[in-house]
Amino acid sequence: MTSRDTIFTRLGRYGYFAVGGAIFFALLFAFVFVRGGYLLTVMQLAMIYGVFCIGLNFFMGYTGQASFGQNAFAALGGYGTAVLCVQFGWEPVFALIASMAIAGIASVIVGYPTLRLRGHYLAMATFALGLITYDISVQWTSVTQGYMGYSGIPPLGIGPFTIEDERMKLVCLMVILLFGLWVSGRLRNSRFGRALRAISTSELGAAALGINVARYKLAAFVIAALYASASGSLFAHVVGFISPEVFGLQMVVVTFTMLYVGGVGTVLGPAVGAIIASLLPEIVRSTGRFQDIAYALALIVMLIYVPKGLSALGGLGRSRVAEPGAGS
Amino acid sequence: MPSAIELIQSLVNGVGIGLVYGLIAIGFCVIYNASGIVNFAQGVFVMLGGMFAYSFLVGMKLPLALAAAISIALVAVVGVLVQIAVIRPMWKRKAPMFAIILATLAVQLLIEQIVILTLGDQPRTYPEFTSGGPLKIGQVAIGYQLFWVLGCGALMVGLLTLFFNKTRVGRALRACSQNREAAALLGIPVGSMLVLSFALSAALGAAAGILITPMQYTSYSIDGPFGVSGFIAAIIGGFGSAPAALAGGILLGVVQSAAIVVFGAGYKNVIALTVLLIVLLFFPKGLFGGLAKRA
Repeated sequence: MTSRDTIFTRLGRYGYFAVGGAIFFALLFAFVFVRGGYLLTVMQLAMIYGVFCIGLNFFMGYTGQASFGQNAFAALGGYGTAVLCVQFGWEPVFALIASMAIAGIASVIVGYPTLRLRGHYLAMATFALGLITYDISVQWTSVTQGYMGYSGIPPLGIGPFTIEDERMKLVCLMVILLFGLWVSGRLRNSRFGRALRAISTSELGAAALGINVARYKLAAFVIAALYASASGSLFAHVVGFISPEVFGLQMVVVTFTMLYVGGVGTVLGPAVGAIIASLLPEIVRSTGRFQDIAYALALIVMLIYVPKGLSALGGLGRSRVAEPGAGS
Repeated sequence: MPSAIELIQSLVNGVGIGLVYGLIAIGFCVIYNASGIVNFAQGVFVMLGGMFAYSFLVGMKLPLALAAAISIALVAVVGVLVQIAVIRPMWKRKAPMFAIILATLAVQLLIEQIVILTLGDQPRTYPEFTSGGPLKIGQVAIGYQLFWVLGCGALMVGLLTLFFNKTRVGRALRACSQNREAAALLGIPVGSMLVLSFALSAALGAAAGILITPMQYTSYSIDGPFGVSGFIAAIIGGFGSAPAALAGGILLGVVQSAAIVVFGAGYKNVIALTVLLIVLLFFPKGLFGGLAKRA
């Protein structure tokens, strides 16, 4: 009848949840911004992990494939940036883009044979990729400086304009994350994204519809690698230090926890999950070791009891009929 | 180029470590065949076996046989706990395969961190079971521990084969691996069988860890590489029988040791993982025949 009516039906109960969430996160950012200090660092890391999770979501959420080795590409991004900036004196922005290109090429080379595998084999092969990269980053000391790690990586910036202020860094990361989300959202509802989701529902069905399953899977894998590489580079630039441990098994578990907290297969889920899963440990003020334990426990509990994540809460008001494949 | 002696020596070492991989691989197969689950936390059992044995042997000065027995029993309990607390609830809710894998990875991280907190993060080792040695054949040295590994490995594989072929429980486990519904209809308590498979697999892993620690070392972080190596051995063996898994382990161990001589010790895991990728891509059903069923 009226425009108010259409807005109401559009939003629905789900919409109120979304609006409430948006207001909550806006207030949260305002608070972090005013408060400053350590919380800024926490939020910066949340943004960086968010970028990683968006990529992971492409491969796991949209396409329904399992990769336990995306940390390999984050390591590639981080070390690529570090080496290009520190050894060769590149501009951070170009180093970031170059590292993404390297990760993209690497993901094609690695993904082309690997993605023919399915199930446990794909899972173990990708897991192996992460472990190989970790070992190389420890052993290849002439390039990676081994366990000591790389320090003195310059902050982001172009030419004389560098972003040194912690608040500006956060804003910059936020813009990057929002851009990542925008790309992810646009792609999800494009022809490409629908093809990916068709694959996650049924590979045979997708193939019958004329979707080149292998090529689309590879494309999703490459996109995930690009996001991972970008997040690795961002970590290097923002923190200024990287070591093999940054990109180890912890990263796999932490990022999967975030993805599950936020909701696998949703557009906003990765970002929401990254922020919540980063802030919660800070509220209980736990240190590194206990934090890893908390993440592992949280992930196990989530996997058992709420495998759809917080996004399922938004759907509470909607019909209880289960959706096939990855939830929307 | 490394000399012939070096290569032969590396072959000998490779057989030793390969046997241990084989034992871990059998652990993977036991769980996989009973439940269709690949337990990515398998390496944790190896690590715990070594760490517990160190605590009892060096910390509490218990005799070797007792320390080993208690360690194996404790690790089996851990295996049962993992099954009951994590795997069973997910199994009942029909969780997707990668969610279960993810949960086992989380279990691995969890146990690693608990071990760091309680037992420390320093690498540990204890003396070989029999002092003296190594046995010298020409210029090739064979540590006495290798004979322990060989003997215990052969003994365990023999016992397992008997268990699976001759005992009621073993046959019930095999029935589960062939068809769980049919097994349940025949009155086999499938749930208990899954618990048993985790206990058995954890015990095997612990035994492997206790055997290998004197030859190398143990620390909280060895679980990843050992777990993956065991999985690779299981894949080479084709997830079928215990002897095939053992053969896969020995093959992997030998290749790895030869590669260490050529490329250096730091890259041994990289090489093992590369072997995995090659086998997965070119022999997806294993080198020794096909899988019992597809993953």
